[in-house]
Amino acid sequence: MTAGGAAPAYAELHCLSNFTFLRGASHPHELIEQADALGYRALALTDECSVAGVVRAHMAAKNRQLRLIVGAEFRLACGLRFVALATGRSSYARLCRLISRGRRAAAKGGYALTRADLEAAGPAGCFVLWLPAPQPQPEELHWLHERFAPRVRIAVELLCGGADRARLATLAALGAQRGVPLVASGDVHMHVRARRQLQDALTAIRLNVPIAQLGSRLYPNGERHLRERARLARLYPPPLLAASVELAQECHFSLDELRYEYPRELVPAGETPGSYLRRLTEEGARRRWPGGMPPAERRALEHELELIEELHYEPYFLTVQDIVAFARRHGILCQGRGSAANSRVCYCLGVTSVDPQRGAALLFERFISRERNEPPDIDIDFEHERREEVLQYVYDKYGRARAALAATVITYRPRSALRDLGKAFGLTLADSARLAKVMQWWDGRAAIPERLREAGFDTDCAWLARLLPLAAELVALPGFPRHLSQHVGGFVIAEGLLEELVPIENAAMPGRTVVQWDKDDLNDLGLLKVDLLALGMLTALRRAFVLVNEFRGTRHALGELPAEDPGVYDMLGRADTVGVFQIESRAQMAMLPRLKPRCYYDLVIEVAIVRPGPIQGDMVHPYLRRRSGAEAVDYPGEEVRAVLHRTLGVPIFQEQVMQIAIVAAGFTPGEADALRRAMGAWKKTGGLDPFRERLLQGMRARNYPEEFAQRIYQQMLGFGEYGFPESHSLSFALLVYDSAWLKCYEPAAFTCALLNSQPMGFYAPAQLVRDARAHDVEVRAVDVCASGWDSSLERRADGAPALRLGLRMVKSLSQAGAGRLGAARGSCPFASVQDLAARAALDRGDLEALAAAGALAALSGNRHLAFWEVAGTDRALPLAPAALSPASRSEGQPLLRAPTEGEALVADYAALGLTLGRHPLALLRTRLEAEALLPAQRLRAAPDRARVRTAGIVLMRQRPATASGVTFLTLEDESGQVNVIVWERVGREQRRALLESRLLEVHGELQQQDGVMHLIARRLIDRSALLGQLLTRSRDFH
Amino acid sequence: MRPRRSLPLLVPAAPAPCAVPLRGVALATGAARTAAELWLGVHLPGGAAGAQLAALAERAQRFTPRVSLEPPDGLLLEVRGSLHLFAGIGALRAALLGECRGLQLQAQLACAPTPFAALCGARAGRSFEILEPAQLIGQLTPLPLTVLRWPEDTVARLGRLGVRTVGAALRLPRAGFARRFGPAALATLDRLTGRAPEVRAAFAPGVRFRRRRELDCELTSHARLLAALTPLCAELGAFLDARQCGVTEFECRLVHRQHPATCCLVRLAAPSADAQRFIALLGEHLAALPLPEAVRACELRAARVVAQPPQAACLWQPGEHGGSLAREACGLIERLRARLGPEAIHGLTFLEGHRPEHAWSLGPPPATLGAQARSHAAAAAPPTPRPLWLLAPPQPLAASQGWPRRRGPLRLVSEPERIESGWWDGAEIARDYYTAVDAHGVRLWVFRERRAPHGWFLHGVFG
Repeated sequence: MTAGGAAPAYAELHCLSNFTFLRGASHPHELIEQADALGYRALALTDECSVAGVVRAHMAAKNRQLRLIVGAEFRLACGLRFVALATGRSSYARLCRLISRGRRAAAKGGYALTRADLEAAGPAGCFVLWLPAPQPQPEELHWLHERFAPRVRIAVELLCGGADRARLATLAALGAQRGVPLVASGDVHMHVRARRQLQDALTAIRLNVPIAQLGSRLYPNGERHLRERARLARLYPPPLLAASVELAQECHFSLDELRYEYPRELVPAGETPGSYLRRLTEEGARRRWPGGMPPAERRALEHELELIEELHYEPYFLTVQDIVAFARRHGILCQGRGSAANSRVCYCLGVTSVDPQRGAALLFERFISRERNEPPDIDIDFEHERREEVLQYVYDKYGRARAALAATVITYRPRSALRDLGKAFGLTLADSARLAKVMQWWDGRAAIPERLREAGFDTDCAWLARLLPLAAELVALPGFPRHLSQHVGGFVIAEGLLEELVPIENAAMPGRTVVQWDKDDLNDLGLLKVDLLALGMLTALRRAFVLVNEFRGTRHALGELPAEDPGVYDMLGRADTVGVFQIESRAQMAMLPRLKPRCYYDLVIEVAIVRPGPIQGDMVHPYLRRRSGAEAVDYPGEEVRAVLHRTLGVPIFQEQVMQIAIVAAGFTPGEADALRRAMGAWKKTGGLDPFRERLLQGMRARNYPEEFAQRIYQQMLGFGEYGFPESHSLSFALLVYDSAWLKCYEPAAFTCALLNSQPMGFYAPAQLVRDARAHDVEVRAVDVCASGWDSSLERRADGAPALRLGLRMVKSLSQAGAGRLGAARGSCPFASVQDLAARAALDRGDLEALAAAGALAALSGNRHLAFWEVAGTDRALPLAPAALSPASRSEGQPLLRAPTEGEALVADYAALGLTLGRHPLALLRTRLEAEALLPAQRLRAAPDRARVRTAGIVLMRQRPATASGVTFLTLEDESGQVNVIVWERVGREQRRALLESRLLEVHGELQQQDGVMHLIARRLIDRSALLGQLLTRSRDFH
Repeated sequence: MRPRRSLPLLVPAAPAPCAVPLRGVALATGAARTAAELWLGVHLPGGAAGAQLAALAERAQRFTPRVSLEPPDGLLLEVRGSLHLFAGIGALRAALLGECRGLQLQAQLACAPTPFAALCGARAGRSFEILEPAQLIGQLTPLPLTVLRWPEDTVARLGRLGVRTVGAALRLPRAGFARRFGPAALATLDRLTGRAPEVRAAFAPGVRFRRRRELDCELTSHARLLAALTPLCAELGAFLDARQCGVTEFECRLVHRQHPATCCLVRLAAPSADAQRFIALLGEHLAALPLPEAVRACELRAARVVAQPPQAACLWQPGEHGGSLAREACGLIERLRARLGPEAIHGLTFLEGHRPEHAWSLGPPPATLGAQARSHAAAAAPPTPRPLWLLAPPQPLAASQGWPRRRGPLRLVSEPERIESGWWDGAEIARDYYTAVDAHGVRLWVFRERRAPHGWFLHGVFG
């Protein structure tokens, strides 16, 4: 394939990327690269009513001869199709507004435009390429010509349909009649012909019809790719090709022209953004340091303020401060996380809570750097249940035209790719789902024949051989985009109209709007965003503080609990951390007894160390050895000592690696930050090599041992995208301490708050309640005569709090019904189930939910009687008083036996997800004992390397991406939990038992180390049948 | 005081599809006789096809005339009167099980004074023999509720009361039970215990037609044979009419002196009861039938009888005022089949798709002509004219200097039409099609393979 010097010049003006979801079959960068290789002068990316792919194309085109034209394809409601190409900044703005208009008028993913919309907000200044239908309608051309002349062209797309000459003649006649010039274009859907099969498959997915039945809805051939210029020269008359280049030369717009400003209205009259920010910062500084700021901090603060001023970021900080102030005013807990913790300005403004002195030397360049010329990124966590209030505040304050969420591009994963392609190949829904399930951990390379055979697929069959390569193409990085979704919380706010910068569209969630670019796109163009994230633990903490303060009359608040309490650290050292923020997972619990944290900074390390980065970089064991004194703490040099002394000479945080690069290898702070970004992406791009030489040489030059330099480099590779920044950890450790303190001293209130904030955290309510009872908290059952919607604290005779489970625990009880129940109970206690049903106007569903949960026990006795009564209640007639309802007549007492313990247990799990009775395995214990299956308690007493057998309910399955195929299981029985490690081979051979068991029997070998016990599985047996209908579901994490 | 037990009724089933309303017929006339009723319930755990169940019922009629079906997997026999004929219940059960084995059916039996109790016992696999009504309740108590085949929802709701057995359900207060679970559920319990009578439809064997006519003299002439068969056809028509049935096929057997009988199977395109049509068709078939010997008797048989409500006849003659073309077509297809053989008649279906060889397919002739016309109209017209006559498979053409030849060089008179499609089913094509004209002026549809070795092929000829 040569550029062919003799071939005529050409610019492709009609080209779709895969951001025209399920139509385009090539990535924007592939199109750019191919067009460049073919020697095109320019390429217009014209996705359908979208510019979602242009930033990627822009970045790919940047260092090439090829020029990118921004445009979009449209189809109006009347069937008229055209392409609009931006010629300059103002026509680009009109284009974005037209796209926004169409997108905002339709549900997520669609757009709706009519000719009237074009009259009102047409793409003035853009070139308009008419895309005639198979039978051209002269009226369409006439209409376009009247409005958009002289910038209207007729797009001539010759695709070897067999009647190209006739079509060319027809269009030429039309053009001559109207005086509209013709231009060549290619209706490009893919960068090379080889994507034809994928394009067909995408069509099938889009239309939800198997490929074989699509018939003429498929394209007849693969001509819709970027064709060689020599070939185009044989197909098109030369003037048409020349016209494409002339037109491209008139499209001057580049995305680099976009300028973006944060809102300025927050600055009061008479102040500049700079002076106002300084004033707020000084006010905050006086709050943070009542006794006056230490001189070092003062210097650092001044440095920051100068840099912010120089880079004109003041409005950004003021915007963030305003949002945080709103949350404070409304009692919504919030706390900044991430690199903002490196900023004293953020600390003073109350955006973050990490005392710079507690966190030791913070690296401000991680947050803002002069060289990088890249916007700072502030992430703030809010209570997960109240974040919506904050989002709506932002929308209200700035308006929909100025504020929107960033998008997230949802791309194909193995599962979704196989499921969709399965359907496209005509598999039934069930078979596609089965295929997707078989391959759920597929990496896009070779198929795993034995797994497919195991699931009943014929691995020799031809369709599978055709499907898998297509699936591999869909999942190959960066992954085929499937649709735009909303970013978890990244807000873009603009001084001017945001929709003139980037189109805005509707998200699936009502009341949310998103821009068409994702966070990387925004970053690449230097647009600022602020991340407003949701954090369940903040909700739980606020609830816990309210509960404790009400119960005890105290005034506890976030960050104001007694610091460094030894009792709290004793508890953490015992790995007694169910429910505690961040350190409650299986792996964290295994680490705690080894690390034995004794101070805040130990928590910072604890949060960061149990991560794939440090584990893969082999930093955990050296750190533990040094901490326990088994290994001497040494440093290869004084500068490095300053960086690593906090972590005993072992780099654990991302910042430390960057700082070593600075002090030991002579990187500038900006270069170090580039290194950090490369570390995050090296697996995708392999971009760490340029740094390698630089790093090793720099360290060699400063006389560091080669071995140390190599190790640092290896650690960087290990960090990959999983390295945990210290700034993040510093913020999280504050929440770890507060939640641990509450668990230690107020377990009832803490558990209550966690239950009311579900779903969140690592453990289900059943484990939280079990843990609370193990800590001597009295837990009382759900009761219509006592429970509110939320769980609550009741005062016991001895003054201690008891935890009353709330009606929210009851499955399929409506919140509205529970609300009426509470109101009716407030006026007068209930006399009977009939009375309850009538006064609270509960329907049959709500009553049955209550009966199933045992919440009617106080009114009717056991569950069987409760159901009998519920079944007998008649729907209250609106006008008839309860006493007159026919059900009040006597029917005699039914002879119903009381439920057995097993039945009650099954019903408890089914209706509440937990039981206050015995653990299910306690009921099975005799039987299990007869089979020599030991309970968790007995295992703990067994020696290291003992061969044992046990059985338990599977609470969790985890298969960390970094653990090379190992699956971690947590089993639970009446005496505790057992952590099971299943090596890849064992897991593969006994896959079904591993993945499908609810009650699992495990034979294996014990591993006892530092008070941490693991069971290495050899044999897995599914014993779920023993549970009968016990409805426990494990929570699977991948 | 217990209410007086009313009589179980046995309702004779009318000949299967029948418009006559069902009437109950009391079979016993005294309370003493009823009390002595004994039902044998048969449950087929593996299930049974409708025909198998009917076959079993036919065989069961050897034990008692009172047999009743409980589709899909149950059968009831009233056997009190037969006990002494078969040497007691034990022997009778064994004999019935033998019949089941003969049909390769697995069966569970139970007997009880009420039909429903016998059935439930059989379903539960309890082979109880309750001869006395007084023992009934005690035996029913442990049965699981599922044997009653109540709606799942009802069983689930009772399960939540801890009620999982028949006994527990019987213990509930009647009024309260009826209000919660409906009067129908209570009625089932009453039928179970005999508190309310049960009406059972009696089994009637299926409908078949079989008539034989001995001929006065031996015949060899087809025409005379047809004349002899005509009254039989008329009889078949009347038989079907009376039952509002039709047949899709019938068999004619011609009996010879020496040779085995000649059989001729007549198939119809749609169910019919029209004697004239039968005669016409039979005539077509006979004409093509070689007779090895003279015929001395003939027989007409129709086994597959299907319900066919009478249809309004068309006021117009075919062709008049658009009189139904579709019905005509049926007749035409039947006649063509009779003359040319069943394999000679095909329907032509147009398929959507870019590949020419996949744009149509052969199939069974359509039931009506209208549907086919519609499907043809739905297919999108290709952009360029296609020849009606396609060669299957395409014929390779010689080529010289890259140009195709066929009885001399071909002249390409069109631009190429590129078709690349069909990769998903292993019959992928990638071709450039042209219209070509040969030396004789014949217009041909040819293509050149896009893949090496880029051969030329003839695919069709324009008319």
